[in-house]
Amino acid sequence: MTQTPTPTKDKAAKLNILSRREFMTLLIGGGASLVLAATLSEPLDTFASQILHNRARNAHEGDPSYHWGMVIDLSKCIGCDYCVWACQATNDTADDMRWNIRVEDTTPLGDLFHVTRPCLHCKHAPCVEVCPVGATYHRADGLVMMDYNKCIGCRYCQTACPYGARQFNWKERDDVNAQTPEWGQPEVGRRQRGVVEKCTFCVHRIDAGLAKGLMPGVDEEATPACVNVCPVNARFFGNLNDPESTVSKIIATMPTLRLREDLGTEPSVYYIPPEGLV
Amino acid sequence: MATVITTAQPAAVTRRRFSPLFIAWIIFLVLMLLTGLYSGLQVLINGLGVTNLTDELPWGLWITVDLSAIGLGAGAFTLSAAVYIFGLKRYEAIARAAVLVGLLGYSSAMLALFVDIGRFDRFYHPMIYWNVHSVLWEITICVMLYLTVLLIELFPVVVESSQRLKRIKPLNNLAHLLHRFMPIAALFGMGVSLLHQSSLGATYGILTARPFWYSPSAPVLFILSAIAAGVSLTVFVTILSGKLLGREMVPADILNNVVKFAGFMCLAYVYLKLWSWAATNYYSYVPEQRLGVEILAQNTPYNFTFWFGEVLFGALVPAMFFLWGRLRRNRNALMMAALMVITGLVINRWNMTLSGFVIPLDWSPGVRDIFPINQYQPALVEWGVAIGIIGYSWIAFTLGVRFLRLYPQAKDVKTGLFVHAQTD
Repeated sequence: MTQTPTPTKDKAAKLNILSRREFMTLLIGGGASLVLAATLSEPLDTFASQILHNRARNAHEGDPSYHWGMVIDLSKCIGCDYCVWACQATNDTADDMRWNIRVEDTTPLGDLFHVTRPCLHCKHAPCVEVCPVGATYHRADGLVMMDYNKCIGCRYCQTACPYGARQFNWKERDDVNAQTPEWGQPEVGRRQRGVVEKCTFCVHRIDAGLAKGLMPGVDEEATPACVNVCPVNARFFGNLNDPESTVSKIIATMPTLRLREDLGTEPSVYYIPPEGLV
Repeated sequence: MATVITTAQPAAVTRRRFSPLFIAWIIFLVLMLLTGLYSGLQVLINGLGVTNLTDELPWGLWITVDLSAIGLGAGAFTLSAAVYIFGLKRYEAIARAAVLVGLLGYSSAMLALFVDIGRFDRFYHPMIYWNVHSVLWEITICVMLYLTVLLIELFPVVVESSQRLKRIKPLNNLAHLLHRFMPIAALFGMGVSLLHQSSLGATYGILTARPFWYSPSAPVLFILSAIAAGVSLTVFVTILSGKLLGREMVPADILNNVVKFAGFMCLAYVYLKLWSWAATNYYSYVPEQRLGVEILAQNTPYNFTFWFGEVLFGALVPAMFFLWGRLRRNRNALMMAALMVITGLVINRWNMTLSGFVIPLDWSPGVRDIFPINQYQPALVEWGVAIGIIGYSWIAFTLGVRFLRLYPQAKDVKTGLFVHAQTD
């Protein structure tokens, strides 16, 4: 650098961000404090592992030897709506935010059939991937769960879910559940205003049932309400990991389809198509 | 109290009294703010049920406000990068204003989001519960970090603008210290801006279940349009405040170059936009995509707003104004063109948000069209909140121009003298 004592020198000095000495001090000081913090601070370590493994943290929930799944036989379904109502009573949902819905559809030949849709508990669930706070997550047994205490209500999961399976609590609930007591009693508390909710495969029944030594899908007490109530036995529930379970046997022997298989979400709900559909 | 007059340069007339026009403008803005405050409280107290949003269409006007505000704030990182990273020191003449516009854009977006989330009391959750796989998490963190950068960038300007603050030694020292860290702040700011401005496009671009949205070009389109419109907004407010104050806020050659840059950005945006359109709508045939665009054409003014609002008047015409020397020298034409780019961005963000929802999901295994086309008109209370947020940014910018040394090289048009003392 030239040593001319002109005003340019002042400018050069001003442009200089950090002197070498300051830079080294910062580097060494900053590095040392980081090392110190990382090695000595137990709370910091816990905090770091908590936030970094936020999503994985819930993985201890559920038993990995199970993968809960459902089979819905569309050729049997008569569209009676019992499963819709039983779900509504059991999980205490409002009329306009049912977790399990029924729609009418037609085969290419024009024959009417009914499709009921719970949450499909996808293996690659778009809702789990997009949630900014990990409020929706996978359990080890394949269930896609909601942590109502974490959810901030941004509704990105509703935007991402290909199946419209998520409902937002737009207002504080003060409605009377129209399906009680005829179709059952609420077994879970109502959700707060401002969070998203969805079908849980009646997780409270699964967990309580397993603790008692019951088998979900076999023993009614441990099985989702929609499966128990079906008058034509169009719904089956069980462990997809067990080749001997009813659901596994059906999937192995019957032609089944999953909704929007092209998206690669790999739902845990399989459908037996009605006649005339694939 | 006497105004401090530096002897080196003749400090020009600083008007002490407020003109009636200024007072009327402030009253108007305060009314906007009150509208927003009232509407915002309605939402916070009664919940989002007071809006016209539904489970099928859960995002609406506020997301448009929030996307537009962040997009329009992109001038800050662009011009800061020019000054502090690419060494174009002279552009500080306009960069400070860009930083204020950016700060107001980002804080407006934060306000909109605060009202929009169902549990506003949990706004801090993204900080303590991380889902690193979520684009929205990344956006939230980047926006928070960048807001901090903007505050750091603006802090020295605030201290420098007030004799009273300047006299407080620790504040003055802090301002000087922060000023020295500016290149690092600018570099960091550019990094997080490039990230989140694109990720906002990716918010839609990654949604495989919605063919209208699913697109790898969405993130790039978002950042290109944000840079073009963010710079345009800075140019617009610069020329407008100059007209109102009878000043030339920024040296003409600097403004010219900034405008030229915005023009090229518009062209880059249009180039990618047209290819993106052609690849998905003309040269290929994806049934779902075509059906979606058909539904939009029949039920919304999408086609018209896309071609005229976004492409023609949102980018092509203003690019011509920005790049053709004769038109560029006309300040009124320039303002109009800048306004077109800004409007184009807002239309684009609205179209982007709404269109994907208007087209219903199709997951049923049969052939029947089961789900109705989703319609949405913002509720009065949604407009109220939006008006309040716009009022907030306008009032803050007005006060910024009035009280901050935002344009260090502003000249009085009549006298041709610098308004502020020149330190360099």
